[in-house]
Amino acid sequence: MNSETHIASAFDRDLEAIQALVVKMGGLVEHNISDAARALEDRDVELAAQVRAADKAVDALEEQINVEAARVIAIRAPAASDLRTVLTVMKIAGNLERCGDYSKNLAKRTAILSQMDPIGGTAKSIRRMAREVEQMLKISLDAYIQRDVTLAEEVRHRDLDVDQMYNALFREFLTHMMEDPRHITACMHLHFIAKNIERMGDHATSIAEQVIYLVTGSLPDESRPKGDLTSTSDMGLS
Amino acid sequence: MNDMRLTKQDVDMQDVKISAKGVQVFYGDTHAIKDVDVEIKDKTVTAFIGPSGCGKSTFLRCLNRMNDTIDICRVEGSIQLDGENIYDKRVDPVQLRAKVGMVFQKPNPFPKSIYDNIAYGPRIHGLAKNKADLDEIVEKSLRRGAIWNEVKDRLHAPGTGLSGGQQQRLCIARAVATEPEVLLMDEPCSALDPIATAQVEELIDELRANYSVVIVTHSMQQAARVSQRTAFFHLGNLVEYGETGTIFTNPTDPRTESYITGRIG
Repeated sequence: MNSETHIASAFDRDLEAIQALVVKMGGLVEHNISDAARALEDRDVELAAQVRAADKAVDALEEQINVEAARVIAIRAPAASDLRTVLTVMKIAGNLERCGDYSKNLAKRTAILSQMDPIGGTAKSIRRMAREVEQMLKISLDAYIQRDVTLAEEVRHRDLDVDQMYNALFREFLTHMMEDPRHITACMHLHFIAKNIERMGDHATSIAEQVIYLVTGSLPDESRPKGDLTSTSDMGLS
Repeated sequence: MNDMRLTKQDVDMQDVKISAKGVQVFYGDTHAIKDVDVEIKDKTVTAFIGPSGCGKSTFLRCLNRMNDTIDICRVEGSIQLDGENIYDKRVDPVQLRAKVGMVFQKPNPFPKSIYDNIAYGPRIHGLAKNKADLDEIVEKSLRRGAIWNEVKDRLHAPGTGLSGGQQQRLCIARAVATEPEVLLMDEPCSALDPIATAQVEELIDELRANYSVVIVTHSMQQAARVSQRTAFFHLGNLVEYGETGTIFTNPTDPRTESYITGRIG
């Protein structure tokens, strides 16, 4: 990467400003994921409501990033690493916005789930999974700030753990639903939550891949290990 | 992305038109070009970019021996056009320049009529058998210069009376009138407004079907727009040469990166 400054110093300021917005957005999303998972485990409806409200700020930041990025493209005609910076900023903002939406959805379902019986220790498992995803997101954003490909690779490989946590939860929900059909509604909601957290892991991975593109100029090939088996097997239950 | 790759393949398939090896240029004691190797493809637009004084114009002028006119200038190494060394003693520079045409920064029409501006080259090279032949060459060249419609009713008006953009297209038409194989352009748009620039760029893209075009430009956006291959010169060295899309999205050399992103380099 290029550590020299532009001859037009305003260009540097523009790029730094957009990247600061991404970092801010990342911080908010991490916070929302963690709060949403805590609200679910603690059956804290008030905290869940706060998470839902906080997503507005995330959406507003994404819009601001897109507007600023379009402005830089129009005015500065960025090339090479500058161009890749602007392109990755837009994609990462998109990934973060999705993660924000999933957290909001988790918070919505928490309001319903808090009126039902808890399903074994699944809320705790979900929170553990959410913490793992939050970590991945944090590392991928650190990798972005430091332009660190090794760190980004770490995130790509960590996604396997999240997939395995999801597989385990999937199996657990099936068991609970077969044992007692009254658990079906709660399990369906919890399953959507688990799936959404698994998707957040994919978004964190996508951010890590953008970091690799930003630094090297090409996306990594599709060779990372994948562990979500639920769409290709019957999980040994039928 | 796919389009870029198509262009890349398209260009890779073209034959080499000019092959330069170990080219060194000295102006007196100044070493202006340092051991440059480059292969310029046929039916392709090649852009030379780089900061002022990097040697891009000097190198361009080697390709049709324009540097011969400068007494203190010495050129070493080999430059082959279709496999023949253009610096061979048997090569007549005047004949060479008919094959390798040139367009300059400032439009420089002869102080003659539009018709005579175009007819001059074909006349001295004996390309027309009679008046009808010459008329045809003039019309064809003006059409190739994308200026025929604007001047067809005033072919005997002075060329210097045209607007800047029209004069430059007239000069391009004049350069193609001798049926060159290569067209060298040294900053052809820097004296033109954006509309005339767009017209000349459109023309360059059309000329690519028949000629190998080499353009020196200070506008990196122009290089990105018109060329399929880009060469970056710095302090007399050819730093990087490759497919234009790659040079502008992911250059290999940090000096290229610094230059095209507008950093001090």
